[in-house]
Amino acid sequence: MTYPFGWSVVTQTLVRRERWPGGLKAKGIPLVYPGQEVQPDQPVIRIERAGLAEEKVSAARSSLSASPASVAAMDNGTGNSSNGVRSGETILAGLCGRVVDITRRGGVVIESRAAVVQGAIGAGGQVAGVLTVWQASGGTRGQQSIPPGAILVIPGPLNLAMLRQVMSSGISGVIASSISSRDLEGFLRTDLVQLVGSRNVELAQAHLPPVTLLLTEGLGTLAMPARTMRLLGQYQGSIALLSGATSVHQAIFPELVISLPIKEAQEHWHPVHPDPVLAVGAQVRVCGGEYEGAIGEINHLFTHKQVFTSGIRARAARLRLEDGSTLVIPMALMERVG
Amino acid sequence: MSTQPYRGEGQGPVGAPSAGIHSASANSILVADCGTVFTKVSLLGLVEGQYRLMACGEAPTTVAAPYEDITRGITQAINEIEFITGRHLVSDGHVLSPEQPNGDGVDVFVATISAGGPIRLVVLGAVSPALDALAKQAVSGLYAETYALPAPSYVATAMPVPQPVGAGGPSNAPRPWTSERAAFEWERQLERMRELQPHAALIVGMADGPAGPNALQEACQLLVRTERELNERHSASVSAGVALHDVAVRQLPVIYAGAPQYVEAVRRMLQGLAEVAPVETLVSQAQLGPINLATNTLYERDVIQHIPGYDRLRSWSSSLPVATAASLSSLVRFLSQHYSMNVTAVDVGGATTTVLMAGEKGEFAPIVNSGVGVGPGIGALFQQAQQAGLQRLARWLPFEVTEDELRQYVLNRMLHPQVIPMSTRDLRIGHAFAREAINLTLESAAYTNLAQFRPDLIVATGSIFAHAPQYSQAVLLLLDTLQPQGVTSIVLDRTMLISQLGAVATISPVAAVQVNENDAVTHRLGTCVVPFGEVRQDQLAVRIGLEYRDGRQATVDVMGGTIKVIPLSFNEQAALTLTPGPTVDVGLGPGERARAAEEIDGGLIGLIIDARGRPLSLPTNEAERHTRLAQWLQAVGA
Repeated sequence: MTYPFGWSVVTQTLVRRERWPGGLKAKGIPLVYPGQEVQPDQPVIRIERAGLAEEKVSAARSSLSASPASVAAMDNGTGNSSNGVRSGETILAGLCGRVVDITRRGGVVIESRAAVVQGAIGAGGQVAGVLTVWQASGGTRGQQSIPPGAILVIPGPLNLAMLRQVMSSGISGVIASSISSRDLEGFLRTDLVQLVGSRNVELAQAHLPPVTLLLTEGLGTLAMPARTMRLLGQYQGSIALLSGATSVHQAIFPELVISLPIKEAQEHWHPVHPDPVLAVGAQVRVCGGEYEGAIGEINHLFTHKQVFTSGIRARAARLRLEDGSTLVIPMALMERVG
Repeated sequence: MSTQPYRGEGQGPVGAPSAGIHSASANSILVADCGTVFTKVSLLGLVEGQYRLMACGEAPTTVAAPYEDITRGITQAINEIEFITGRHLVSDGHVLSPEQPNGDGVDVFVATISAGGPIRLVVLGAVSPALDALAKQAVSGLYAETYALPAPSYVATAMPVPQPVGAGGPSNAPRPWTSERAAFEWERQLERMRELQPHAALIVGMADGPAGPNALQEACQLLVRTERELNERHSASVSAGVALHDVAVRQLPVIYAGAPQYVEAVRRMLQGLAEVAPVETLVSQAQLGPINLATNTLYERDVIQHIPGYDRLRSWSSSLPVATAASLSSLVRFLSQHYSMNVTAVDVGGATTTVLMAGEKGEFAPIVNSGVGVGPGIGALFQQAQQAGLQRLARWLPFEVTEDELRQYVLNRMLHPQVIPMSTRDLRIGHAFAREAINLTLESAAYTNLAQFRPDLIVATGSIFAHAPQYSQAVLLLLDTLQPQGVTSIVLDRTMLISQLGAVATISPVAAVQVNENDAVTHRLGTCVVPFGEVRQDQLAVRIGLEYRDGRQATVDVMGGTIKVIPLSFNEQAALTLTPGPTVDVGLGPGERARAAEEIDGGLIGLIIDARGRPLSLPTNEAERHTRLAQWLQAVGA
């Protein structure tokens, strides 16, 4: 099961997240107190001592060709905390909700009614920013207004050239469907196997470029499912909290948390309780083999094991895909997504 | 072959029922094996006076989110059994017990666990290569990983410093130990401690070396600094990427096996930050037992008991959950004693690879390679293979493969460990990784003289074997890695039961024996004959003479460098005569003819003659190797 929430997209759920800039040696001064209500754009922590990231960020910044406006915005504290934090800066809540705890290191734990998108793989620490969907039809990114420190949503696969462009534009995070492992390693300049297998996630993230990534489908050239895209489009312009940390040993996967608008959270609050069980009617995603990335609904569970091309016999189900076609897939290759 | 101390609560030898369990009256036993990726549950029951496997179920292990409760996966697997048998076994989140008159419920529930991961043990102090090897050996039968971090002063005085490439002078000439170098070493060790997040520390070494007691003092200083840093991070949340149990304020357990006169000094230095448990000073194999025991106690306390849902699991049974490796060890030792033969068992799991060797004279060498497997552990396996060159993996594939493809395979398996191979290519790559998992496991036990161990029986368990589409694929995998010599029988545990039966034996030895014989080791694949000595390519390696019970006779010549299967079906026996080539040995010396004392058994594959030579050598030319591998696969029908 890849998704700690059970499904890759959860439209309404109650979350508690520690707002924390990252870094093993970092120390923060909370600007809020338990019980206080906070807004996404409200500063909640002042960084007293930056962590391992500071030196790296300084080096990275010196090589960036970012516009003065975007760097100023980062310095003023738009919430690009993990990757852009320096002593004295403030970081934003990123979430709308109530402060429920202050951690010893100065992190602020916020409880929020939110929508959550979980990724298959990602990289980079926690950042807050304005969710901005990239408009492919709008031509170059320069023609589209992208706020400094934004979290950019690219509906399709990413590549190295796009990531390099992102690096020079003051964007704090990117959400896309997929990327080739070679491009991702090229951008991160790290061994992905080591990164994903790392036990100390903070240490592993500390040496990455200052842009947080979330790939909804994972490695390859897979498209973003329409329902994921719909949800992200729905919250265009909202401030969201993005984390790219991925560790198979710690069962940590990347996630985007978007606090629900107050009206929706109060008047239409119907939290979803994801059921990961594979049953008839469940919407699933194929997570391996030649049909990887296909999404469909289980319409039959076979009583007996089925034989597949490799010769392996396995319990299987028949899926009806969105285009009406059907596939017989081993249940081991299915993840429930809805 | 060295022997391994063996002990343990609920893990004792077969035939020692736990107190308070009326095993003799148990009509039904439910046994769960919670692996890293999957949880398997088996229902054992009495059928015509014999314990048999009634049904089994499998479900994903639910230690991690979203369930974070190990009993959820067990319950799902039990639900499968309920569906198959029509019996009601769980109710309100609890196992129904005892068995009801209508057949619902079970009398006994037991569990084996490997899901919690290994205990990470840093070995500190004056860690010489010999002490490092002893420390590894001490915990080799446990789910434990050791990482040696010799004290800087010890490194400075005892170890040669490699010169950078291109530096002048002899390559092993010591470089002055400057204060910069010492500071660098300190920072490197702290970084390593942050990275490892150890569960416990083992301090070793005497104070009579060139570094004196400094090495012990530095070990304590490293622990003090690490603990202060960890405790500063107390209350970090999972959302920040750090698991709570790793950063909570705690006292790090320290097993002290160093110079005895410094026990109290070490205690004082670590006061308030670490709990120090002194054991016998580690100087030789004679002191392995206490370290093994202390580590196992910590594993049960700090790993198993911290598995989410442990308390509920514990409430289902009066016996403690058992580490799967301990359960398997128990059964393998029983088999070797019961049948008076040398037994090797192999289990390639998602995060652990286990090779156990039990001799008929009571020798026992367990090798549990924690962190290396074909599921989440494939990342570590890939990295280890990478260090020696990816050719180590590619050499097992009868086709070209790029590093990118292997890397992609590894990442997919790490992110989706439950996935099964859909294409033959993926299956072959998976089997190549399994081969390297076994090879690395065997190599990790350099202290054990494996070459002298000649197994009469090889038992293979774990999903890579159980799910192999062809039995012959499993056989070839075992022959390529264990490389037995002489005559060996191979049995496949298709039901994945044997790793559970050691735990069953602790409460009902009779049930364990009967289920083992009736259901677990029923997939006898056949007898293997492996001539050794100087086996020359394309020359006669051995002439096989078979005399079947119905009077038929067969003579087959097997050439060096080949592998051949001779029909001998499951319930068939035959008298075997081996006439080796002049330089080839079948057990009695080069060129000496041999006749098996007893008739040999057939199996699902038949009689397998592996005349490829020992040690197995693969052609260095890629095209030639691909051809040879394809021939071998075809020869055994894999």
